[in-house]
Amino acid sequence: MTTLITTASISIKNLTKDFGAVKAVNDISLEVETGTLVCLLGPSGCGKTTTLRMVAGFEEPTSGEIYIGNEEITDVPPYSRPTALVFQSYALFPHMSVYDNIAYGLRARRVPKNEVVNQVQEFIKLMELEGHEKKSPSQLSGGQQQRVALARALVIRPKVLLFDEPLSNLDALLRVRMRSEIRRIQQHLGITSMYVTHDQEEAFSIGDRVALMNKGKLVQMGSPRELYREPADRFVAEFVGLSNIVPGEVLESNGNGAEVKVLGLTLHCSRPRRGNNRQVAVVLRPEALSLGKAGDQGLPARVLTLAFTGPVARYTVSITDDIVLTVDIANPGPDQFFEQGSEVTLHLPKEIPSVLE
Amino acid sequence: MARILSYRQELSDSQKRRFLFIALLIAELAILIFIATRLIQVNTVVDRVEVIGNQEFTYYKNVLIGDPPLLILIIIGLILPLASRRIRHEPVLLVTVQVIIVSLIVFVFWPLAKVFIEAFKSEYLAQGFSLIQFQKLLTKPSVWKAFTNTMILGITTSVLATVIGTLIAYTLTLTNLPGKKLLRNLTILPLLSPPFAVSFAFIMLFGRRGLITWDIFHITGWNIYGPQGIILVQLISDTPLVILILSSVFASISRNLEEAAEDLGGTPFYVLRTVTFPLVTPAILTAGLLTFISSISDFGNPMLVGGGFQMLATQAYIQMIEMFDLQMGAALAMLLVIPAFIAFVIQNWISNRKSYITVTSGAVTGYIRQQPTWIKAILYSITTFMAFMTVLLYGSIFVGAAVNAWGFDYTLTARNVTGLLTAIPQIKNSLIVSVGSGIVGGIIGIVIAWLVSRKNFPGKSVIDFSATVMLAIPGTVVGIGYIVAFNAAPYFWTGTFFIIIIAYAFRRLPVGLRTSVAAQKQIDPTLEEASLDLGASRLRTFTKITFPLLNRAFFAGVIYIFIRSMTDLSAAVFLNAGSTQLYTVRMFRVMVTGTPSEGAAFAGLLIIIILVALAILSKLTGKSFIDLFRIS
Repeated sequence: MTTLITTASISIKNLTKDFGAVKAVNDISLEVETGTLVCLLGPSGCGKTTTLRMVAGFEEPTSGEIYIGNEEITDVPPYSRPTALVFQSYALFPHMSVYDNIAYGLRARRVPKNEVVNQVQEFIKLMELEGHEKKSPSQLSGGQQQRVALARALVIRPKVLLFDEPLSNLDALLRVRMRSEIRRIQQHLGITSMYVTHDQEEAFSIGDRVALMNKGKLVQMGSPRELYREPADRFVAEFVGLSNIVPGEVLESNGNGAEVKVLGLTLHCSRPRRGNNRQVAVVLRPEALSLGKAGDQGLPARVLTLAFTGPVARYTVSITDDIVLTVDIANPGPDQFFEQGSEVTLHLPKEIPSVLE
Repeated sequence: MARILSYRQELSDSQKRRFLFIALLIAELAILIFIATRLIQVNTVVDRVEVIGNQEFTYYKNVLIGDPPLLILIIIGLILPLASRRIRHEPVLLVTVQVIIVSLIVFVFWPLAKVFIEAFKSEYLAQGFSLIQFQKLLTKPSVWKAFTNTMILGITTSVLATVIGTLIAYTLTLTNLPGKKLLRNLTILPLLSPPFAVSFAFIMLFGRRGLITWDIFHITGWNIYGPQGIILVQLISDTPLVILILSSVFASISRNLEEAAEDLGGTPFYVLRTVTFPLVTPAILTAGLLTFISSISDFGNPMLVGGGFQMLATQAYIQMIEMFDLQMGAALAMLLVIPAFIAFVIQNWISNRKSYITVTSGAVTGYIRQQPTWIKAILYSITTFMAFMTVLLYGSIFVGAAVNAWGFDYTLTARNVTGLLTAIPQIKNSLIVSVGSGIVGGIIGIVIAWLVSRKNFPGKSVIDFSATVMLAIPGTVVGIGYIVAFNAAPYFWTGTFFIIIIAYAFRRLPVGLRTSVAAQKQIDPTLEEASLDLGASRLRTFTKITFPLLNRAFFAGVIYIFIRSMTDLSAAVFLNAGSTQLYTVRMFRVMVTGTPSEGAAFAGLLIIIILVALAILSKLTGKSFIDLFRIS
């Protein structure tokens, strides 16, 4: 059985939302290409949910436009928009059965009765909810409720699917399972989606592209790889994964890359630079660093703390009194354990993906 | 088989929406023109006749009947919501907001404004601005005295009721007094009945021929009629309100806060002064101001036990109904509404700031405090005395109804109960009015609650305020306001069921509104959003999602308004007419002119009707008897 959905892109143009004097969303423009999933990522209060709610039609933009496909929908009431939202709390109607919940949108559209039955059955099957039709939402587990919410959103054949932190009510294990399920269904249907989350790992694992927001502004948009390897600024570098940010000095720069002096060592940046300051900042990801025993070739350092989480041993080491770096050693072997306070050698990577201007 | 389906109405029907919007505007314009022709009527009357020679010239002039200012206000009310882009795009929302704004203008703002307008007129139908009513007030010491009397009495009652009520609330929530539950129910009981039933029972017990003062103790020099009597009966009928407000606040104080203070080195008294007391102060002030409003608005009690003691509410009634001086009545009503309104604004301001008291989820609350024995003894005796008084007063009503002539002849008889049969028309009238106002008020309440708690639109705070302001308006003022606004052409509404129902519905709107807002807050707003998002219209969302989840609150609001309307006297005396005479009005006449036992039978029946309504309400909401009153 294949279910096809007509889908369309989302374009947001210069969108602004003021709450009194506060600019919750400040002049955001972004595009979600047809069939892709874009994650809106950012700390709480960054405006990502407000942006999503403006696309769904629950907040009235102060200025700017929203398009779905070629249609402008900025002033269209939520019930006439071709969007379907999966809510953080699922928002399943407590006074209706699972079946009635899923059928709700179809009935609101006055779809013929037998057609409603067919459509609902199809999505109950797709979401593996057989046998739960008569139950009330409160009798279901969190994961099942999530699937009902998804079925209810999909059954109306929206052009665009919106997710508002849909997994935050689930426990850690289920969260990982559900996100791959959401991703699978989204790709299976090829439906354009916008997904709000504050969890960087979730955003990276599910999104074709990630739009990172801060204080109402869109800071950087790109593939997870781009955001991680080439952060636009310090905020991105720090929000996307753990990072050590150290000062660097550009020694030489040309179209092929640059030579940067970092902590006394010269590293190569293979990407052409965007600015031309001599003094820059360099992001050293913890997993790009490694440790060896004292006296090796590298930077002498002292172990401050060690936390062993299982797959990773996380060290903080100091080079001087004010430069403290985090080092992650994946799958640490017996010779990679160092006692607190012991002297070690810190190895920097020879290549760095980018520098912060 | 691949299927391509999209049930979304394609966006091309934005034209359809535009068409609908224009059709709606045309329909509204037609309705507006109709209203305008009703509101503004021009009568041609003979101005003067001049005789020049043998020719007689008759001059005519056009006289305007009606309310052009009201029409202008209605037009403003219709246009205002159009300012919002979003509302313009949603016809259902647009019409709802317009209807609410216009009805608040017509039935809340306009009658109150008319009281002020009328108070500054020199006589009926006079034009222009005049201070003559207030000059008359100042020259008539008896009337002016009514103002100072009302204020002094209001302050005395509210201070006493607040102190006693706070102590009782503390006893009932934070001590381990035996029989707390029963005592709680008993002390709240006076909220049930019309306030003047308390003063009537009071007279039966403590009057000149009272059971206790005459039959038991044979006291002769005692006089209950006068300010002392009013204060005593108001204490009994107003203290329950204080107990309710303070009980819920005492119960919600987190024990953790006090423990933290003690842990940081505070002695018990220091903690009481620096933590416990500041936490309850806003509630105490709120309760004090509400009892002040209740006391100065009281009409029935001063009429019964005032014994010639002048009060504003009673004076306004006498000027208006007995002296037919509409303007003087309005002037007195104005003097009454200003302090009540000020108290309301302060109360509103305080209770909007006290948000810290509610942040107690998960905390230990209702912890039993240890007190020294002598404090316990005082608290216990005040509380049990109050409960005992309630039992005595209500007992005397039911016993009184069963005896021949209370105060003279205590032989049992069914005469008084069968005498109620003559009141069947009034019972019917009261039921029609109370059920009607319950339903109207409930519906308006639920819609306004939905608007103010979910929607954002220009003028929202004004709607919220005007819907709750009636809480501060004494029944007397409502009655006078509706008379001066709607008595004459082109309305002639006074004495009709319609106007009584509307008056009660809007008067008790704050109660319906609060129950609905409270229930609304319990519902996750995303449920409605989910419905809209799935393509259900505003109307469908309201009928399929909002209302089913709110219906208990809705019926609770309906029954509250029903009870309040059944027991109202102060607005009823102005608004009812012969054919629409209400039960409380008849009951009041019987209490004044009949034997105490006849009056007791009337009061007893009303209490039973209310108890039945409450039982239904309790069943509907699944709440206990006390919790039902929490919101009122």
